[in-house]
Amino acid sequence: MLAPVDGDGAATERAIVVAAQRGSDEAFGALVRIHQRRAYSVVRAIVLSHEDAEDAVQEGFLHAHRALDRFRPDQPFGAWLYRIMANAALDLVRRRKVRDADELPENVALPFRDPAESGELRERLQQALTHLTDRQRAVIVLHDVEGFTHGEIGRTLGIPEGTARSDLHHARATLRRLLQNIRSNS
Amino acid sequence: MIDDRWSRESDVTDALRAHYAAPTDERYWDALEARILAHVARGGNEGWWSALAEMARPALAAAAILVLVAGAAVVHTHQLDARNAYASVISAAVPPSVESAARVSSTPDGDATVNYILSH
Repeated sequence: MLAPVDGDGAATERAIVVAAQRGSDEAFGALVRIHQRRAYSVVRAIVLSHEDAEDAVQEGFLHAHRALDRFRPDQPFGAWLYRIMANAALDLVRRRKVRDADELPENVALPFRDPAESGELRERLQQALTHLTDRQRAVIVLHDVEGFTHGEIGRTLGIPEGTARSDLHHARATLRRLLQNIRSNS
Repeated sequence: MIDDRWSRESDVTDALRAHYAAPTDERYWDALEARILAHVARGGNEGWWSALAEMARPALAAAAILVLVAGAAVVHTHQLDARNAYASVISAAVPPSVESAARVSSTPDGDATVNYILSH
């Protein structure tokens, strides 16, 4: 699930990575084209808004470009890149927390939501998501939305696989409880 | 009242998928790719840390100049002191301590000479 390329695609990607390591801007552009959607999904699972996800993706690719010469081409590029993306997103979340203190985002722009979803439900889900820890939120989104395995989540977020499982369990339970409570109080 | 919509785990998952749905418009991804490459090409955004780094460069240059000037002043002062000390040593004919020492030590010799002449 992590790598968007398999088999022959992996060999092609390895060649692109090597070209990018030799300084080819065109090759790096190709890597961005291949991985930007998955990178967006990884960071979107961690940050609270679409706009922050875009910022984190840009920062993540910048860090990857700077660290490219340290990447070993025999390793899966996607796993390496998404770990960098996750770190960029976590850094952004930390900076936002310092800046915004405990203020919750009230007008988070979500221009790509499902039109069928009612505003009320969306608002409640968004509010419930803020009660999860950053890591729990990332784990449940990466697993339930993006289809990452527990092992892939662990590698991406730099946590043990068992911790990813535990976070997923607690995140689901918290969301169910909060959403039910919110509804029952209304 | 418990909302039945949230009673099953799949409902939470469906809601999450809708909430986190990625853009599907290809033009969006083309635009994002261009933004990413531009961001990488200029080496980052123009945030406060960039501004701080830009401010730090002239500040560091000014600090380096100050250190050089201060160092030159210290060396110059040290050379001046050494030159003055050397000049004061040269200008003095006989150091007082040497003169008095000579006088003290010559007195017994002078007395001995006078005594020798008077005794012969």
